[in-house]
Amino acid sequence: MTYPFPYLLRPSIWAARNRARRREAGDTTRGLFFGAIGATVFGAILYGAFWVTTQLADYAEFGDYLLRLGLSWLFLTFLSFLAFSAVVTALSTFFLSEDLRLLLAAPVAARRVFHARFLRTVAQSSWMVVVFIVPLLIGIGLGHCAPGGFYLVAPLAVLPFVVIPVAIGSAVTLLLVNIFPARRARDILMLMGLLFAGSLIVLLRMIQPEQLLRVESLPDVTDFFATLQSPITPLLPSFWAAESLFASLQGHVDWLHMAALWTSALGLTVLVAAANERWHFLGFSKAQEARKTRFTRLELLESVARRLPLSPVSRHLLIKDLKLFLRDVSQWSQLLLLLALVLVYLYNFRVLDLERIPYMSGMIKNVYAFVNLAMAGLVMSTVCARFVFPAVSAEGAAFWIIRTAPIALSRFLWSKFWMGLLPVFLLTEGLTVAANHFLGIDPFLRIVAAVTVLLMSLAMVGLATGLGARYPRFNADNPSQVAGSYGGVAFMIAAVLYTIVVIVLIGWPSSAVLWYRFSRVPMSIATRAQVVGSFTAAAAVSLGLCAYGMRSGVAALDEMGK
Amino acid sequence: MIAVEHLVKRYGTFTAVDDVSLEVEPGQIHGFLGPNGAGKTTTIRMIAGLLKPTAGRILVNGHDLALEPERAKASLGFIPDRPFIYEKLTAGEFLRFHAGLYGLDESLVAGRVTEMLDLFELGRWQHELVESFSHGMKQRLVMAAAFMHRPRAVLVDEPMVGLDPRGARLIKDVFRTMAGRGVAVLMSTHTLEVAQEMCDRISIILKGKIIAHGTVGELRALAGDPDQHLTEIFLRLTGGSGLQEIDEVL
Repeated sequence: MTYPFPYLLRPSIWAARNRARRREAGDTTRGLFFGAIGATVFGAILYGAFWVTTQLADYAEFGDYLLRLGLSWLFLTFLSFLAFSAVVTALSTFFLSEDLRLLLAAPVAARRVFHARFLRTVAQSSWMVVVFIVPLLIGIGLGHCAPGGFYLVAPLAVLPFVVIPVAIGSAVTLLLVNIFPARRARDILMLMGLLFAGSLIVLLRMIQPEQLLRVESLPDVTDFFATLQSPITPLLPSFWAAESLFASLQGHVDWLHMAALWTSALGLTVLVAAANERWHFLGFSKAQEARKTRFTRLELLESVARRLPLSPVSRHLLIKDLKLFLRDVSQWSQLLLLLALVLVYLYNFRVLDLERIPYMSGMIKNVYAFVNLAMAGLVMSTVCARFVFPAVSAEGAAFWIIRTAPIALSRFLWSKFWMGLLPVFLLTEGLTVAANHFLGIDPFLRIVAAVTVLLMSLAMVGLATGLGARYPRFNADNPSQVAGSYGGVAFMIAAVLYTIVVIVLIGWPSSAVLWYRFSRVPMSIATRAQVVGSFTAAAAVSLGLCAYGMRSGVAALDEMGK
Repeated sequence: MIAVEHLVKRYGTFTAVDDVSLEVEPGQIHGFLGPNGAGKTTTIRMIAGLLKPTAGRILVNGHDLALEPERAKASLGFIPDRPFIYEKLTAGEFLRFHAGLYGLDESLVAGRVTEMLDLFELGRWQHELVESFSHGMKQRLVMAAAFMHRPRAVLVDEPMVGLDPRGARLIKDVFRTMAGRGVAVLMSTHTLEVAQEMCDRISIILKGKIIAHGTVGELRALAGDPDQHLTEIFLRLTGGSGLQEIDEVL
């Protein structure tokens, strides 16, 4: 007997059930931590959407106009995210996934495999958007006192809306894998990452959000909305979804746009299924070829490493780690996304005309130095969790080479530390210095922030390296899995707490110095001592955390064989 | 029955499999030998339906793999060299899923799962997650899965890797029994003693081409020494042992 295609999803369902039954150490902590974060984010989005909607309601028709425009833009953003996410996910689910070798060797019709994989791609690439959309639409519905029909229309509009980009993404992937040399299939991820980062920046340039700040000039505001409207074409599914939802907010049903959503989703799915049946095996077959390594020679890297004042062992460890990193495109693409977000963050400060915003002038804008510091801390903890914490685990099954070689494990771990410190420090220092420069922060605070970032880098990289050695997962499939392990979660909690402590320890004396300087009151000796003490405490906490992390890591590595 | 006719696989300008033809009759164990990178696994993956041949035809029990892929695969059991198993499934769940893929009647699956797990000495591990299995246990589980649907042809890539002597003996017995019941077995292996002991016919592939085929006796005759061990014949046909170089380097 032949089972329908959902049968092929059973392993994922059974595996999830087995995971839930067999709990690992740290599952409860991890569950509570991520649950609390999830609930907070859900609540914040819901409240934010509710608040904005109620504020807009005060402006009657103009408010409705803004809400309609906002929905279109929001869905356009989701559409671009989904399109990118679908290509990346489809590449994995349709061509690179390990279990395909099992499924394709079995007598399963190509169409059944397609349907199962397509459903998986839809779920994997859109869950994040859906999780974001749910509280957002509930907030808008509550804020607008929407009729019950809105809550019925919402899932009916969102479902085809997420299917359309996945169908297009799957078709693009099918095309790319069949056209490009398949051994470069993973490189396509990098290309997509670059395109996504580029399109994000271009999108921001097109919107020119700084124009909103020129509220004194009505024509500019009109221009701004004209700019907003230009890319919103009635041909895009984001427009159809937004229009359907807006109509249901008003108590109507927009049959035209709902029909456009559903017919496109179903039509595209049928077309992609047919194309897949015709070309999938050819693409999959190409993807089985041995993947040619990129950056095979890397002579520049070796010649630079030779000039560094390092011992031969440390140099070889450094070269090995760098080569592995550069040749793993999945690492690159994630870093590119992070860089794109950092660029967008900086870009916002670059284009803001701060002098025109009354509340941003004067001393208060110096507060933003600490917002930047918090942002740097967040970026740093994320980068450390994703790239530094898994450094020891990344040795994987090859760790025996290090353990059996005549190398002290402390030297191995310190090599991982320096390897992580340099990029983390340069990235966050660059982010902080540039953001503070664009904002015109006081020079004293700029220096304080720059030094603080150095201390934070030492602390976080030390802690991440050490905890990564204490809680390694040598059998993990990828670094993300290591970052999400018990040790990774413990590191994230510690890193966030540490950032708060450091900002408090740095923030109070910095603001005290500025206050005394601006009010031209001489600082008492006791206050001076407190200021120095607070700065010293921040440095001591940072260096102490670094030392603790590394000692703990080295001890854990030494214990490993006992 | 497995029949391969003028099979070719090219990767750009590189020809991995070059005009390979072979036939495995029902009840026959056919050894497929060759040095590393000779094209064994590529050929086997094409027969399993995981790689598209550049040219040539593959017939499994009379079904053309290109024209009737599902029918061909339904009568084939495939044991890959690096098998994929869902690590978070139990042995029993994995076999049940596999049975469903091959369209086994659901009412018969539970009994068949127990039967196969007992045969491959995995009965007491039925409810354990695959991730806790040793390499040899995983290998036996994959074999249990491959035989679940009673295939009429079996394709095996390196069956003895990671098996302890008891496991290896078990696998040999299973293959002999299967062949005795009329199943065609095509087996790629590096273990020449196993090939010599088990195979009715042997094909040797080198640089993508079949350079010799026949019974062990016929291969001995081809190598010019009727008393020689298969290892010596294999080394002679595939380009020497390299022992002299080893001596010089060391």
